[in-house]
Amino acid sequence: MTTDANSPDTNSTEAITLDEVVRSFPDGSGGRFRAVDSVSLSFARGEVTALLGPNGAGKTTLIDMMLGLNHPESGSVTVLGGSPKKAAQRGRIGALLQTGGLLPDLTVKETVQIIAALHVDPLPVGEVLATAGLTEIASRTVGKCSGGQQQRLKFALALLPSPEIIVLDEPTAGMDVSARHEFWDRMRITADAGTTVLFATHYLEEAEQFARRTVLMHHGRIIADGPTDEVRQQAGAAHVRVSWSPSSADLHAVPHVISHEIHGSTVTFRTDDADALARYLLTATEAHGITVRPATLEEAFMQLTAQATDPAPPEPSQYAAPETTQEATR
Amino acid sequence: MSLTTYILMDFWRNLRNFANSFFIIVLPTVLFLIFGVSTEWNAFELPGGTGNVSAHTLVGIAVYGAATATTSLAGSAAVELQQGWGRQLALTAMPHGMFVLAKSIIALTMAALPVLLINLVGLLTATEMDPGRWVGTAVLTVAASLPFALYGLLAGLAFRSDAAVGAASGVLVILGFLGNNFFPLEGLLLDIGRFTPMYGVTAIARYPLTEGELLTAGDATQGADPLWMLLLNVAVWTVVFAVGCILLQRRATARR
Repeated sequence: MTTDANSPDTNSTEAITLDEVVRSFPDGSGGRFRAVDSVSLSFARGEVTALLGPNGAGKTTLIDMMLGLNHPESGSVTVLGGSPKKAAQRGRIGALLQTGGLLPDLTVKETVQIIAALHVDPLPVGEVLATAGLTEIASRTVGKCSGGQQQRLKFALALLPSPEIIVLDEPTAGMDVSARHEFWDRMRITADAGTTVLFATHYLEEAEQFARRTVLMHHGRIIADGPTDEVRQQAGAAHVRVSWSPSSADLHAVPHVISHEIHGSTVTFRTDDADALARYLLTATEAHGITVRPATLEEAFMQLTAQATDPAPPEPSQYAAPETTQEATR
Repeated sequence: MSLTTYILMDFWRNLRNFANSFFIIVLPTVLFLIFGVSTEWNAFELPGGTGNVSAHTLVGIAVYGAATATTSLAGSAAVELQQGWGRQLALTAMPHGMFVLAKSIIALTMAALPVLLINLVGLLTATEMDPGRWVGTAVLTVAASLPFALYGLLAGLAFRSDAAVGAASGVLVILGFLGNNFFPLEGLLLDIGRFTPMYGVTAIARYPLTEGELLTAGDATQGADPLWMLLLNVAVWTVVFAVGCILLQRRATARR
């Protein structure tokens, strides 16, 4: 089979397709809880997607099923037109596993060599060590490596088979800020080469900076899915600040306001349509000195997870994935 | 894909691990030098005339060394898998069956090392045995270590830590004592020892030499163990360890 990351496969345009996937675990008191609850998603080739969610949202379980490490109870998972296990064994999907262990008594280079020996057509060990920035610590024992260095080693292992899809489960855990920057710089090169990338993260700025598409997961369900900036706006989340001293009647007349705060002569609005609000404020009122700040993904996320835990959650709206004709369907 | 590279690298990793090679290779060899070579009774001929006392001691200690090898390697293989290395391997072209095969080859090679070394030391020093019987005991010694792979696996599955596997290897000293490996037992201890897991495999490994005849610390013999009893001991303990492994494996799968 081909291991060329850029080779087109006419059989499937989708890298990964999940259809109504369910996976539950015993909850410790005789029942079962659904770690992944009827998730349908699909990822186009070349797409870079962030998978966001709090601990226990089901991200790792979902990723395990994409890699064939775990199996859905119902529903189906297709990777590059075949089974996840097959794709993993052929090295067409590579992964940096959160709970993937390393052997502490091997050196960094030996770890890459021993895994390389088990792939059908691996990249040269030296090349992978260089790409992951490990050349200088190649002879260091894994047990003596820092958390960040071990993450880089796992990244090297993920790159080894030159996969068409790369899945990263919290890749920058244990890295400091500069190491995280460096990691994403390396990752960007991989993504620019056409590799499909899916990463789970806690760091919202990583999603904002690196992923064009963001999928939010909570309690095993997808609560938002779309272009990262749209997901961010989805919680009605931009902040518009103006200098203005309105009467309460003035305030009532302002459109698209979710909430507002007044500090002296400064008013800050949270809005679901910053353009419309700004246009109104500047044309129909005396407000001036306007600043508009998009909400952070964190704010959007808080808003959306709060909605999702409401007794009657609103139907999460869906967006088409960027630069594909694929609908992110449910 | 090169399974050979994997086996060689993993074997070398285990061999250079000091704790591993000390307890598997160095310690049994030293024990043999002390109890099987340097003491004067080693030159005495066995009642059957098939070899000397040194040969009797050699087999006992070699079985202990080989069993330590399979216990610790199978145990650490189980721990490796559960600590996430197995997930890493699952993303390669190596099927799980190949992993079991590779680890079996590594464990058996490791078990063969003390057997070879101790037999070589015996050959160069005090041991006397008919060549045919000698080869027979050596082969059976390596085979005797097999049930202890299940024993080590059991420890690894039950406690999921290298320390537990180390402790299980340590317990082998007691099992070896009760198994008649180091010193000829008599009376109550012998009666108890017959029911312990290392007794059967050790007596079978010695069978070409003793034909079941039981040695005492003195001149006399104290009867013989029938072969069926020894085989029953091995069969029962193998089944016990295997069932334990299956139950623990089920527990692990159900939790997931």
